[in-house]
Amino acid sequence: MPYSFLEHTADVRMRVTGDSPEGLFRDALFGMVSLMSPETKKEGEKIRRKIALDAPDRTALLIDFLNEALVWMHTESEAYTEVRFHTLGERKLEAELEGERVAGFGEDIKAATYHEAEVGKDPTGT
Amino acid sequence: MFDFQKIRKITPVLWEIPRSFRDDMRVPARFYSHEAMLHEVGADRALEQLVNVATLPGIQGWALAMPDMHEGYGFPIGGVAAFDRQEGIISPGGIGYDINCGVRLLRTGFAKEEIKDFLRDVGRTIFSHVPSGVGRGGKLSLRRGQDFDAVLLLGARRMLELGYGIEEDLAHIESGGKLEGAQPALVSEHAKYRGRDQLGTMGAGNHFVEVGYVETIFDAAAAQDLHLAQGQVTVLIHTGSRGLGHQVATDYIRLMNRVMENYGIHLPDRELACVPFSSKEGQEYFAAMQAAANFAWANRQLVTCEVREAFQRVFGQETPELSVVYDVAHNIAKVEEYEIKGVRKEVIVHRKGATRAFPGQPVLIPGSMGTASYVLLGQEASLVQSFGSSCHGAGRRMSRTRARRQTSAALLREDLSAQGIVINSGSKRGLAEEAPFAYKDIDDVVDVIHEAGIAKKVARLRPLAVIKG
Repeated sequence: MPYSFLEHTADVRMRVTGDSPEGLFRDALFGMVSLMSPETKKEGEKIRRKIALDAPDRTALLIDFLNEALVWMHTESEAYTEVRFHTLGERKLEAELEGERVAGFGEDIKAATYHEAEVGKDPTGT
Repeated sequence: MFDFQKIRKITPVLWEIPRSFRDDMRVPARFYSHEAMLHEVGADRALEQLVNVATLPGIQGWALAMPDMHEGYGFPIGGVAAFDRQEGIISPGGIGYDINCGVRLLRTGFAKEEIKDFLRDVGRTIFSHVPSGVGRGGKLSLRRGQDFDAVLLLGARRMLELGYGIEEDLAHIESGGKLEGAQPALVSEHAKYRGRDQLGTMGAGNHFVEVGYVETIFDAAAAQDLHLAQGQVTVLIHTGSRGLGHQVATDYIRLMNRVMENYGIHLPDRELACVPFSSKEGQEYFAAMQAAANFAWANRQLVTCEVREAFQRVFGQETPELSVVYDVAHNIAKVEEYEIKGVRKEVIVHRKGATRAFPGQPVLIPGSMGTASYVLLGQEASLVQSFGSSCHGAGRRMSRTRARRQTSAALLREDLSAQGIVINSGSKRGLAEEAPFAYKDIDDVVDVIHEAGIAKKVARLRPLAVIKG
């Protein structure tokens, strides 16, 4: 599994690995969607959502990306199953998310936080 | 596990981590606990986070943690920190994502014996009247513009203007249910959109409506002043500013992460993101936070009316009005004045999972699901010791994942049912996560506050029906 959930007294820590920035951002998004436990409609309406962001560094860019997606998940009941990155640099992102409108979510996430968040390469360079 | 070798015992319930513990501490850190509870206090990273808070610019006195403390994100939950109004900072992480999450206590005209045969009906009816869970909207949908701004400006008062509540309600809410410095224009469109249909909703997680009764009176005179009597049925409401508050926190933590370097601020954890209180960004966040706090008070006011309607549905239109005993915030920042080292000083007090406990003010401490809750009365010592603050609940001691591994919704329902407690919950997973054993013992936590002299025990409430998202 490219993402896993770690212990925290009151919240949820997520660890994500990927062999590219795109893979990392994609699986972080899918991890968050999975945590929200979307309740799929029988024939969910397909949706597309464009997101454009800049941030001071790659870690902040990842957290801001998740928070931007979270807004649309909460307000439009959207659950994402695919993401295409048109731009993904250290500090800038343009992406198009695809998914479907869902009946609701089984779990709530207030926000993705910067607490102990860090994007880095592991010793093998991935 | 925290290294307790370097801490100092101040009293049997108060401990100090001295400034020498870490080079970057500006003040010592202090926390409230019985010696027997220290293993729970040190089990996660709450104390390490408290030490981080002690490094923030302009902090006064001590970084404080209450006996219900546990690991949060950036600041510990159960944390209190006061910063100099001129030289200090404001930090959204020191207030929390659920701005003005809080508790409201209602008293009814019923005795426990009078409603015991109606508990299932009461639970079901409240569950259907108070929307809960994720994505279930309320009956009041706010249009952008004046409708929305009036709620953010006026808080609970706006609900009265719309016919939800009575004037008497406002007299028993912290700050009258309205903070004066709110500026709706500083709340983002994203935040308003998240909150547009969430007034009068409970949400998920540890939020609840609980019908209970006064099991024990500790202070007869104080209980009488609050019109609480042995066996009287009460209703506790625990919810906050919902998605609107979450988004205000997200927006401003993001902003502060971008600008804090301009103010020469470098932090051990960027979730502590902060700016000087007097800066443009600091003032803007404070105004947006106050707007979100007002939204939360409007929310608890509308939930109150939904609970009143539910009681009328079950017991008839002639049901005596449910009266507000008090309503307190436990995630908020306020400008207050204290004597610090012999000098009166204005500070911005951050309470994250901590309740204001001014002398003579009711302090409401909800326990975990199925256990007791407490009504206390703030004492003078809170002004000297804890920047007028108390604990806010039992405090988690176990992760949600571990709680789910140790019980199931079905088992929990069985346990609670055996105690005569009715449960209405939309989420089986959420129910298991809130199992009582996932929390500290509320009696121990409240005893620490009582012994410290911060607030004195007035009454203990026991649940009869719990309604959750």
